[in-house]
Order: sequence, then C-alpha cells, then structure tokens
Amino acid sequence: MRRRFGAAAALLSVSLLAIGVAQNSRSSTLVYGGDFSDLITLDPGTSYEFSGGLVTDNLYETLVKFEGEDLSTLKPGIATKWTVSDAGSSWKVVFNLRNQKFSSGNPVTADDVVYTFDRAIALKGNGSFLFDEVANMKVGSTKAINKTTLEVTLPKTASPAAFLNLLTFNIGGIVDSAEVKSHVVNNDYGTAWLKNHSAGSGPFVLNRWDQNQQVVLEANPNSRLLPLLSRVILREMKEANTQKIALESGEIDIAENLTPDMVAAKAKDAKFNVYKADSLRLQYLGMNTGADSPFKDARVRQAVRWAVDQDAIVNDLAGGNARKIQTIIPAGLFGYNPATPYKVDIEKAKSLLKAAGKEGGFEFEYLVPQGSCGAGIPCSDLAAKIQSDLAKIGLRAKIRQIVQSELLGIYRAQKAQMVMVGWSPDFPDPDGNATPMSDYGAKSLAWRNAWQNDTAGKLAQQAALEPNPAKRAALYKQLTELQLEDGPFAILYQPKVPLTLAKTVKGYLRNAQGQVRFEKISK
Amino acid sequence: MLTYIIKRLFFVLFVVWGLTVATFFISQILPGDPAISALGDKATDEMIQNFRDKNGLNQPVLVQYFSYVSRLAVGDLGTSLRTGRPILDDLRDFFPGTLELALAALLIAAAIGIPAGVLAALQQNKLPDVLVRLLALIGGATPIYWLAILLLETLHNKLRWLPGPGRLDAYLIAPPRVTGLVGIDAIFAGDWQVWSDSVMHLILPAFVLGAFSAALLARMTRAAMLETLNQDFVRTARAKGVSNSTVIVRHALRNAFLPVLTVLGGVLGGLLSGAVLTESIFSWPGVGRYVTDAAISLDFPAVMGVTLLAGVAYSLINLATDLLYAVLDPRISYG
Repeated sequence: MRRRFGAAAALLSVSLLAIGVAQNSRSSTLVYGGDFSDLITLDPGTSYEFSGGLVTDNLYETLVKFEGEDLSTLKPGIATKWTVSDAGSSWKVVFNLRNQKFSSGNPVTADDVVYTFDRAIALKGNGSFLFDEVANMKVGSTKAINKTTLEVTLPKTASPAAFLNLLTFNIGGIVDSAEVKSHVVNNDYGTAWLKNHSAGSGPFVLNRWDQNQQVVLEANPNSRLLPLLSRVILREMKEANTQKIALESGEIDIAENLTPDMVAAKAKDAKFNVYKADSLRLQYLGMNTGADSPFKDARVRQAVRWAVDQDAIVNDLAGGNARKIQTIIPAGLFGYNPATPYKVDIEKAKSLLKAAGKEGGFEFEYLVPQGSCGAGIPCSDLAAKIQSDLAKIGLRAKIRQIVQSELLGIYRAQKAQMVMVGWSPDFPDPDGNATPMSDYGAKSLAWRNAWQNDTAGKLAQQAALEPNPAKRAALYKQLTELQLEDGPFAILYQPKVPLTLAKTVKGYLRNAQGQVRFEKISK
Repeated sequence: MLTYIIKRLFFVLFVVWGLTVATFFISQILPGDPAISALGDKATDEMIQNFRDKNGLNQPVLVQYFSYVSRLAVGDLGTSLRTGRPILDDLRDFFPGTLELALAALLIAAAIGIPAGVLAALQQNKLPDVLVRLLALIGGATPIYWLAILLLETLHNKLRWLPGPGRLDAYLIAPPRVTGLVGIDAIFAGDWQVWSDSVMHLILPAFVLGAFSAALLARMTRAAMLETLNQDFVRTARAKGVSNSTVIVRHALRNAFLPVLTVLGGVLGGLLSGAVLTESIFSWPGVGRYVTDAAISLDFPAVMGVTLLAGVAYSLINLATDLLYAVLDPRISYG
C-alpha cells in the first residue's frame, strides 16, 4: 500500500513538474499565427519574401536600423557611427563597428561585413539588385580598414541616403563569415545551409523551421540585444477562421490575417488588442498616357482623380484600415507630401473632360487582379466602386479581372489602358517610389503608363542623389506636386495591416516595412 | 497472377504518360506568366529573361515537353518555380502529412461507415436504419469547411477536449524524421508525449475528412448487404442452423464487401491526392496545401508533379483493390 502511494506521489510530482515546465515555457514563448507560406529561405542574402524578412530581421543585425515605427531616422546597429563623404568621383561611407559576437561566439568584424555584402552581390538573389543596381555596388566596393572599421565606395550615380536605408533591409543582415564558409558546398556561398540555419548576431537564433508548419526562434545568449522572451514561434495558419479560433483558445498570441469584420469584433473584446500597423504599399490606378490612349490628356487624368470617392473607399470598403493619400511617396517615409487636394467634385471633373474634348465620356478597358487588394478589400469590390464613381462623369470602365501575373504582363508591355494594382518600395527610401513612378528611363511604372515627363525624371534623379536632407525634401515636394497635377496615377489609399493581439502581449511594434523586433515583446 | 500484375503496371505507365500530356498542355494554355509570378512586379526584363532561360520557358512547347518527359524517365520531376527546390524533395516533405491524414480518415470512415451500413441493412426500415440513412445524408451533404470550423469552435475552443490546428502542439519538438509520419517517428524516438499529442491532433482533421467517406461507405455497405442478405446462400446458411453472427459476418458481409472495397479504394485515392480544404483549415502541411500554393503561383512543374503522384497513387490502389478481390472471392482469378 505504502509502495503504491509512493509511486502515485512520484507520478503526481512528475506530472506537476511537467505542467509547471510547460506553463513556464508558455509564459516565456510568443506564438505568432499568420500566413507564412511565402517563406522559401532564411538566408538573408537571398531572402526577399515578406515572411523571410520578418524572421531574418530577428536573426541578423544590420549596420544601421530603424527603431519602433519610425522609418525616417537611422539608428546605430552593429555600426556605432557612420559618415558619408564626397570623394570627388565617388561617395565614401565609413562605418565604425561595436564589439559584439555572433551566436557562434565569433567576434563581429569588418571582414564579416565585407563577406556579407560581396556574398549578397555574387549570389544574384532576388534582393541582390538593391546592392548592384540601386547602390551600384560591385564585389570589392566594401573594404575592411581594420577589424572595426570599414569603407564602402559608391559611384556618384548612387544615392548614399538610399544605400544607408537599404542596409536596414534583410539583405544587410551581417553573417558570420567563418561559420558560413565552413558550410560552403560547390561554391554556393553556404546558401543551402543558411536556408534553414542561422549565423547572425541578432537577438535570436533559428532553432528549427518545419516547412509550412512553424519557425522556432530561441534567444541568442551571445547577442547584445537580449530578448524579453526566450522563444518565438511563427505558427503557419493560412485561414482567417483558423487564426481566430487559435487566438481565442490561447494557442497563438498574435493573429496576423483576421478579416476586417473579425478585427472589428476583437477590438470590442476586452481580452484582445488591435494594432493597426502602417504599410508602405500604395493601391493605385495607372492610366496609360500613350498616343492612342483616352488618358493622354492630363485633364482627363485629373477628372478621374476628382471623380474617385476616396473617403468612401477608406472608411466603408477598407473599414478604416487604410490611410487616405494622393501623393506618390507613402506616409512614414522621408519626402511624404500630405496634400490631398482632390475631393469628389463631379462638375469639376466633367468640365475638365469637356476642356479635353471628351465631353461625352468614353469606354475603356480596366484591368483588375483577382483576389484581395490592399487592406483586405476584394479587388472586385474595389473595381466596382471605381467603375461606379467614373460612370458619374461618363467614363465607362469595362472591368477585366485576370490573374495578377497576366495583368502585369500586359501592364509591363504598355498595353493596359487602366490598371488597378499595388506598389511598395523595396527599401524605406522615397527613391523606391519616386524613380519608378517618375523616371521614364527607369523602365518601371512611369514607362508602363507611357508617361514621359522629363522634369519629373530629372527631379527624381536629383532627389535620389541629393545628400542634403533639406534640399532633398524640397525636391520631393516639387516632384510630388508635379505628379498630382500631371502624373499618370490616381492613388487610392495606403493600406494598414490590422493585427489582433492577446491582451497579455506587450511591446509589439511593427514598422511600415513589416519589421517587428521580437526582442522587445513580453507577455 | 504475376503476368496480370506486370500488365497492370504497364497500364500505370500509360496513365502517367496520359497525365503528362494533359497537365503539360493545359499548363501551356493557361493565362499568366510563371516568370512574373515567381519574380514579382519589380523584376527587371533581364531578370525575367534569365529566369525563362534557366527554366527552359523560352524553348518551343514540344521541346519543353520532351525535355520534361525525358527528365521524368529518370525520376526527375523538375524544380519548383516557387520554392526553388527539387519537386521530389518537396513531395518527400509534404506527402507524409497527407498520407498520415488520409490513412486516419480512411480508418475513421471505415470504422463508422461499414458497421453503420451493416446495422442499417439488418434493421431495414426500422429506427436504426432511418437514423443511419439520415446521418449518411447529413454527412454527405455537410460542407467540409463548415464542419471543420464547427468542430474546432466547439471541441477545441469551447470544450477544450481536442487540440487545435497543426500537426503538433507549438511547444513540442517534432521527433527526428525517419518516415515523415510524426506518430511513427515519435514511436521510433520513444517520445510518448509527442506520440499522444500527434494522435490527438489527428482526430479532428481525420474525422472531418472521413465524415463524407463514412457517409458514402454506410450507404454503399447498406445497399450491398441488403442485396446479399436476400441471396439464396444466406437463406440456406440460416436453414442449416448457422448462427446469426456467422451468417452476417462470414457469409453476407464477406460477399457484400466487394463493392465496398471498390469504394474504399476510390476514397483512399482521393484522400491521397490531398485534401485542400481540410489541410488549409487545420494548418496541416500536406500535398493539398502544397499544390494550392503552387497553382496560385503558376508553379506548373509542381502542379504536374502532384498530379502525377495522384495518378500513380490511384492506379496502384486500383491494382491493389483488384488483387484483393481475388483474396475475398475465390471465384475471381487473374491466372
């Protein structure tokens, strides 16, 4: 009897211990539910997907970074100090590094930065263009002066400001060169290994990645950025309903993809908080200004802008999960122009059409992608709203809803009359929007809409290269005003990303680039 | 028998060839550009051109087809345009999830559907029969999506009887991969906590997936049993004084099982080709979700890979079903 009692007591103790360990583990773990199906690699040198960035930003520190929600002021990362100087035919950017360690225990040195940058260029991954096309860097542009000082040489065709900003992107995550080199197979720069391992100095290390299931991050004891939680799990859940149920049952602490009505319901529930993060995305109408297009005359494009009811789109269709914006640089970025001169004015729109010789209106093809547009609005609903707004001034839009890649194929060939798509800059710098949307020679959005305005193109180039912030701001103001008057775009809105968090989650911040510093979150 | 099996395996090759023709040429006429889909809006013309060159998308359609088939002949399904990995590697990762779910769903469907069908037939037009027919009707007509959300909401969220989405609790670490079936791998690793958690996680999705098949099996078993119970040999067996249970199990059910086996084979084939909705709602990493993501990204090589897998699975299951006929019914011979 006594033996049986002893065994029962032992079993109970083990069970209680197990429960205690589990509860302790739960309280020190953040479980983040979302659709991470775009995750294909965790190598910072090749990852270009949103989910890849979300993870690698927490595994790898960058030389410079943004803090909190602010995307306009660079803060020290691995670099404690940096200076940009004009060296005549080039820019010299010098970084001083702090003493810190990678997760392996190896010190972070200037040689690691050289290896990281050269590796990213040589790999020719989806994000490599940031270094070789935007910053015009080559293998060899980065040189170590000593263990803690390095110099990057940029040609005068590149913008030092844009270069510094793009370093905050995951391609700027510094890798442990000794660790990576030890895993190189067939000259692959260790990319096969880094796909599902980590070698950084960020606050977390990769514990494991079970494809289409979860990514588990553990605190990096060697990081200077010690996290408040010891573990973060990104749990893949595609369905909004699944995320809602998992959030309610406490399986996850954060749900990233609830529908707008679910978010609205959770906002009224005392157990949850709703956090609306900004994004840098612009949902816009692109109007082809080519010789045969009815949108050739700037007054027709202005008429479209006077006819579109943005307030109804932002408040009703997006349920408030979007920002009203009419200029080409998204709010949150340097150079943002908050001007919103266009309001619904049907008479004014009609008079502009009359002045342009289009009094009776016209019919045109309106290309719309399938699925959801920004802020979770079904693209078909948004298209129907625009169609109805334009019909009020006599413009008869024939909606053609097709798959995104087919739409882009037509748009990229300058063959679309009007498109409704989204655009986000690749790095948090106004040039990520200004040049593609204004410079015909860049063969991007301005080109796709056959809009060749030499003044706009020159302004974009000048602003990109201008090192003086005040002068740069003035140039962007001039450019955004020109675009408002003459540009081929009708900006519809800037979507927000609503996230639902369990009330216990504290310190969650997400900037418009989608970066979340997991080390600052507690629960 | 061996000759028959070899003939049938040759037939499988024809099925595979037919599938390659159908899937390849359908993928060619579908709208959309796989290169733009894979690289995105920002890709330069040069990047798109390089991608097309690398993946042979610039070659004439027939050259692309023959290149695909010749690679297939040596067991190379190609590389996924979305994940950048060999499709075989992707399938190796995702198929075990589907296999685990399909087998559990089949087990649940058979465990519910066959006894229910037998009971309904034995109690024809009485209350149990009416109930089974009603439940079979409901089971067959209930949308999977609705049933899944309902069960998750009640059994997981409200009552906390069963775990929620996923293959394993987020706080548990999956055992080292041996078979890819978490439950089996947990046994190999001797990790009973993971084993029990994986079994618990399997119950809801397997039940949701198996409900429709259970309804089908119940109706099929009932009809087959009714037909068999009216046969002369059953009446003779009863007249000879054979016990009721022996008559039902050894005489009636064994003979009624042939059409049921056909349905079981079809059900398993369907389940193995991926349960898109169930896998999505339960965040289950299987072939259904893989092929959905592939289709959305216009990743045709991956879609074709999964189609071939499904075709081969169907063909082999059909072959196994036919061979089982001979085991169950001595009158059938493939000699």
